[in-house]
Amino acid sequence: MREITYCDALNEALRECMTEDENVVLLGEDIGSYGGIFQVTKGLQDEFGAERIVDVPIAEAGFVGAAVGAALTGMRPVVEIMFIDFTTVCMDMIINQAAKMRYMFGGKGSVPMVLRTNIGAGRGTAAQHSQSFHSIFAHIPGLVVVAPSGPYEAKGLLAEAIKNDNPVIFVEHKRLYMTKGEVPEESYRIPFGKAEIKRAGEDITIVATHALVGASLEAAEIAAKDGISVEVIDPRTLAPLDKDTILTSVKKTGRLIVADEGHKTCGFASEITAIAAEEAIEYLKAPVIRNASPDVPVPFSPPLEKAFMFGKDEILESIKKVIAYA
Amino acid sequence: MATEVVIPMLGVTVEKGKVVEWLKEENDSVEKGESIFVVEADKVTTEVESPATGVLAKILLPPGEEVPVLSVIAIITDPGEAMPAEYLGEGGRAKLAEPASAAEPVKTSSPVESTGVTGSTFSGPIKVVPAARKLAKDRAIALQSVCATGPGETITHKDILTHKDTGKTEQSQNISTLARRKAEAEGVSLDGAQGTGVRGRVMVADLAGGKLPATQTLGQGRAAADFDPEFGKVIPMDGMRSTIAKRLTSSAFTAPHVAFYSDIHMDPLLAYRKAILPQFEQKFGIRPSVNDFLLKAVALTIREYPMLNAMLKDDEIHVLPSINVGLAVAIPNGLVVPALTDVDQQGISETAAQRKELTGRALKGQLTLEEMDRGTFTVSSLAQFDVTFFTSILNPPQSGILSVGKTRDELSLNDGAVIVKKVATMGVAVDHRIIDGVMAAGFIQTLKAKLENPAFTFMHC
Repeated sequence: MREITYCDALNEALRECMTEDENVVLLGEDIGSYGGIFQVTKGLQDEFGAERIVDVPIAEAGFVGAAVGAALTGMRPVVEIMFIDFTTVCMDMIINQAAKMRYMFGGKGSVPMVLRTNIGAGRGTAAQHSQSFHSIFAHIPGLVVVAPSGPYEAKGLLAEAIKNDNPVIFVEHKRLYMTKGEVPEESYRIPFGKAEIKRAGEDITIVATHALVGASLEAAEIAAKDGISVEVIDPRTLAPLDKDTILTSVKKTGRLIVADEGHKTCGFASEITAIAAEEAIEYLKAPVIRNASPDVPVPFSPPLEKAFMFGKDEILESIKKVIAYA
Repeated sequence: MATEVVIPMLGVTVEKGKVVEWLKEENDSVEKGESIFVVEADKVTTEVESPATGVLAKILLPPGEEVPVLSVIAIITDPGEAMPAEYLGEGGRAKLAEPASAAEPVKTSSPVESTGVTGSTFSGPIKVVPAARKLAKDRAIALQSVCATGPGETITHKDILTHKDTGKTEQSQNISTLARRKAEAEGVSLDGAQGTGVRGRVMVADLAGGKLPATQTLGQGRAAADFDPEFGKVIPMDGMRSTIAKRLTSSAFTAPHVAFYSDIHMDPLLAYRKAILPQFEQKFGIRPSVNDFLLKAVALTIREYPMLNAMLKDDEIHVLPSINVGLAVAIPNGLVVPALTDVDQQGISETAAQRKELTGRALKGQLTLEEMDRGTFTVSSLAQFDVTFFTSILNPPQSGILSVGKTRDELSLNDGAVIVKKVATMGVAVDHRIIDGVMAAGFIQTLKAKLENPAFTFMHC
């Protein structure tokens, strides 16, 4: 199968959905002629016009609010927030408006919008452009939170997000944009709330998100040489969450590592750990380990940022720690 | 005359027990029937009554040490009587009963000391991962006795999986009875010998080869285990098997058995149960089985035929006041019959709860002797097998046992039309010495009537 980048896979999903449904419109900063900061919307304005690919002023609360209104009227807006860090200025629109309307209108209205944004450190973009606080959205009932881990997931999940009638926070990952993977040319959708077992194993379960799925698979490959069999699960959507797949795996292996780039405290890794503690405690053969970002702002200094980051090596360390509990 | 106080038999599968607390001190006077100590076995604690009236002359076992059941742990003497000399030796230690297991220690090391060591070296809370804790509980393994290999001396899942009784493997030898007998006959020394059987058990085959391997592999040599060319496969009877053998022999050759069968139309009961099930479960939080209705109907029928609740003792017939219906439960390697109490006076929900609780513990080997002894009638069901009907042997000293066959489809005429009926054949076997045929027939007929009209039978339940 052909291989394309994560970025191109997203672009392809947008193009397909816009071709299929004229209600799909894009709003964002520099997404038109420039094609977006990560080039996800490259070429789309030429194809669909400035009416449907709208460059907006730097006013997130305003254009996200506009998208919520458009969605209520039946359009399917896809807004791009350049970095997840900037969602803080439009939180009222996301949390108090988009997430609540379907409930507060007794189901008579819905907000079928997608908010695309990205997380991830490692690009020298400092504390205000490198954060990974996606789990905040998973804390809010009413929002779907999507975490594509590769090009295949990016295309299938974005198509599903646009067609879904709920507000979707579609969280991409900076370091993944240029990674390549196999992506079918035809349209397809990946259902929400369905985790994927990326690698089957017997001794340890790793639940990983975003770029850490790849890092976990690499670590699993290395651990396999020492006879340690690691199962890697990509939840794909943080909300809704496929608890069954995770718990079935944890009950089988008895050892759990969670790898998520959010801060450790109150993060997604904590949530998965809590579920295991609540619903599978008697199966646990070892302490659960959270591989998560330290509880500090992302440093600008390259050596410090490097120290902040973690990946394959740290996951391998965790594997060794939990397997010590035979 | 001096009376020995022993750790009582606490259940068919219980091999060891320990005194948690002495309720009396040495030289206290005790009354027969008065509680004198608290015993614990398989996580159940029970107060034990004094077997005699007199003076608690000597306590041989301090609290906390685990010993085989039936070990002598104290002596009661008559007031003024001197302590018999035989109990003064051995430094005043408990006189241990032979462990129920067939393996006998060669080097005499006191099991009391070995368990004492593992118990006393431990200090602070035990660190154990949850899965290991659960497994240890399921296998009734004391965490104190497990060797921890995990980080920070944490007990891991594998530690429990591979746990062996360290006291036994380190300080005594595991030798099959047959091998020992043969070794003695041939004058072979078994000191320090490691066998090829499970856990290094020395087998006859090890002797025959003339050389004893120095190492052992777990599970290896299972096929060779207890195999002797002369006797074939030899399985030593464990405590439960000998109890079953003894009791059934005594019953079969003491009480003349006679059985009466009847076909019970099961559709009404099955429909009745189905109809009440959703609301019943919602209200009582328990799902009654067909057996629960059966146990209840049996108890109600016994009320009308109290002789079925009687037992023959010497020249007297004792008609027992409580109707405690036992249910035969198959467990690995045997059978136990825990009895539900006062089934006639209880609602179906209570019957179901009792049945569930007792069978649950039966499967874990955690029944008390009292729970198995209190039955006055037994129900034995093979309904889940393709068995049409079968004969049962009375559970002594009871006088009645109901055998329940499978429920099958049968063709029947109803107003000239052929219909399919669900039918189960049930039989009551009775002790013919005290129950006549007419009475047994009446019993099974009344039970049939009750089961076939469940709405009326269970109206007040």
